Amino acid sequence: MNLTYTPRQQAFRAEVRAWMEANVPKEPLVTLECREGYDSHVEWERRLASGNWGMVTWPEEFGGRGLDLIEWLIFEEEYFRAGGPNRANQNGIFLLGPTIMEFGTPEQKARFLPPMARGEVIWAQAWSEPGAGSDMAAIQSKAVRDGDHYVITGQKTWSSRAAFADWGFGIFRTDPESKRHKGLTFILFDINSPGITRRPIRQLHGDTGFAELFFDEVRVPVENCLAGEGQGWSVAMATAGFERGLMLRSPGRFQATAKRLVELYREHGHKASPAAREAVLQAWGAAQAYAYNTYAVASKIMAGGKIGAEASLNKIFWSELDRNMHRTAMQLLGAAAELKRFDDGRVNQWLEGYIFSLSGPIYAGSNEVQRNIIAERLLGLPRVGAG
Amino acid sequence: MDFRFTDDQLTLAESVRDYLAGTHGPEVLRRLDTEGNRDPAIWQGLVEMGLTGLLVPEAQGGLGMGLVEAALIAAECGRACLAEPLVDTAFVGVPWLVGRGEAEGLEAVVAGERRIALSHAINPWVADGEGAPVQSVDPLRNLALRDGEATDDADLLNLGALMSAAQLVGLVDAMLTQAVEYAKIRTQFGQPVGAFQGLKHQLASCSVAIEFAKPVVWRAASALQDGAASAAVHVSHAKLAATDAAMLTAETAIQVHGAMGYTYEVDLHFWMKRAWALAGAWGDRAFHYARIDDAVLGGALAIGPEHTFA
Repeated sequence: MNLTYTPRQQAFRAEVRAWMEANVPKEPLVTLECREGYDSHVEWERRLASGNWGMVTWPEEFGGRGLDLIEWLIFEEEYFRAGGPNRANQNGIFLLGPTIMEFGTPEQKARFLPPMARGEVIWAQAWSEPGAGSDMAAIQSKAVRDGDHYVITGQKTWSSRAAFADWGFGIFRTDPESKRHKGLTFILFDINSPGITRRPIRQLHGDTGFAELFFDEVRVPVENCLAGEGQGWSVAMATAGFERGLMLRSPGRFQATAKRLVELYREHGHKASPAAREAVLQAWGAAQAYAYNTYAVASKIMAGGKIGAEASLNKIFWSELDRNMHRTAMQLLGAAAELKRFDDGRVNQWLEGYIFSLSGPIYAGSNEVQRNIIAERLLGLPRVGAG
Repeated sequence: MDFRFTDDQLTLAESVRDYLAGTHGPEVLRRLDTEGNRDPAIWQGLVEMGLTGLLVPEAQGGLGMGLVEAALIAAECGRACLAEPLVDTAFVGVPWLVGRGEAEGLEAVVAGERRIALSHAINPWVADGEGAPVQSVDPLRNLALRDGEATDDADLLNLGALMSAAQLVGLVDAMLTQAVEYAKIRTQFGQPVGAFQGLKHQLASCSVAIEFAKPVVWRAASALQDGAASAAVHVSHAKLAATDAAMLTAETAIQVHGAMGYTYEVDLHFWMKRAWALAGAWGDRAFHYARIDDAVLGGALAIGPEHTFA
């Protein structure tokens, strides 16, 4: 156990810090969940790409820096220290990018990865359907083979980023006779293809971030299929593993929130309850614990280990931590918690953050599903229900 | 930067785990409970494994290891619900004396002839020491009230708190395992009770709590071993995280055992009671929160994403 940084790691931190201090927008961007905010976040992605900071963990050949996981953690710490914006490109960086690297053909890698790294094409997820949320194997949208195309008909919903994104990815039923996990295929599609209707969904906060996608005989070339027909479930599980696993939520984000919460307490603590004071300290402790655990898992992976069902522990921990921290902030703000903007004109980011934090325990596999996974795969308790 | 134990450390911990699993099972705890709590043969076994000398400098015949190794072994002592005062003597007493330059006479600790039971002002009583007996909820814990002034030395307190946290880690693992094993075999409504989500989700929450407490404890051990300026805060963080995981897991484990959990017959109670005892020993929640409060809200500790390890 060596919990000190090498001189090379320290130098790297200094390099990231200098670039972030010079480039991170001084004022927070408008929320990603509206046209104006989306555009400014995409512009930020391109700025990051111009400094080659867009996809730091990707191999250099695909437009990344080939950083190891400890360097990635350092990068993320400095990103959030500087108050870096949320990533419009998140689906590409952490979900589709690694999936294409693992399952894609050389042609697919060359075609999709570099524009993703440059922030030129922003990707939406299209997993859920009205009848397939936590139970993703209930997917019904069909992709019927017709020569060198698939013809897609069906509906996806709650698709992250789909209100404004360029391309989407998801799994579709290519074998009409199949049930559950079989007969599904992972397909990439241009959201502006003829036959796709996108209907942005107004979210809890009133803005539009995710969307419904209606497919009416949409023709998608067969070469947009990843890893072969019928392999969709295992590819999707690998993708979901990336999402729940190490990289979806880096610790820096929560350590930054915990620090802001401490500052909020210094401002409002004189009228707070003792329980709120303890909650603030707990936030610091839990954010630190999450960071230590991430370093431990990163060290394990760098030494050749793997992350499996442990990813479910992570997902529960960060999503509940985020909700707890924002709930505490709302308590500290008292009557002002309901205001969308404070008297001085500043956006109430705690309110926005609280609302957003309520999605954490739901998306990327609800925390109930995660607790089942922990109970069954880590603790070895008996399974129930449909498989 | 490498947040892993070395292979040597893991091998050492595994050998202690295997040894205690083979020689110190629940039937031993039951025997001790009726036959006087301590057994020279168990102590002798620990001495022969070199554990009393783990932190004694090599010049005094010990193994000269560090607090990270000791914390790992303390966790194994918790897992086995070890009754003998190995942790207090060898992982709290010895490093404190060595840190004060009082290493003379530690050969006797290595040989198993000397036990160290130190009073501290934060604990109203001392475990396995001389004095008027006091009864603990933990039937295998020998407490005594001691006359005279006790030290309030912070180094001693940090060692005691760290090693309590490490034992709690092992206690939680053991309680969780017992609850899971029981949930697999106890059948009601035609299925193992562990197939009900109502139990699964509670047990999964214990898993989350302990898995995120462990790295806090190891990080504290590393900080205290290195003499980091912020070590005291990390020790308090470790004690809190381990205590909270232990209280949650104890309450969940008894619930999973149902009415059997409320009997003296089920093994669980030994572990649960040890956890309750250690939860308040070497600084209770209020004490350790106050130390974190001073550092974090008081501003002495640098916080934020760039300060994970500073």
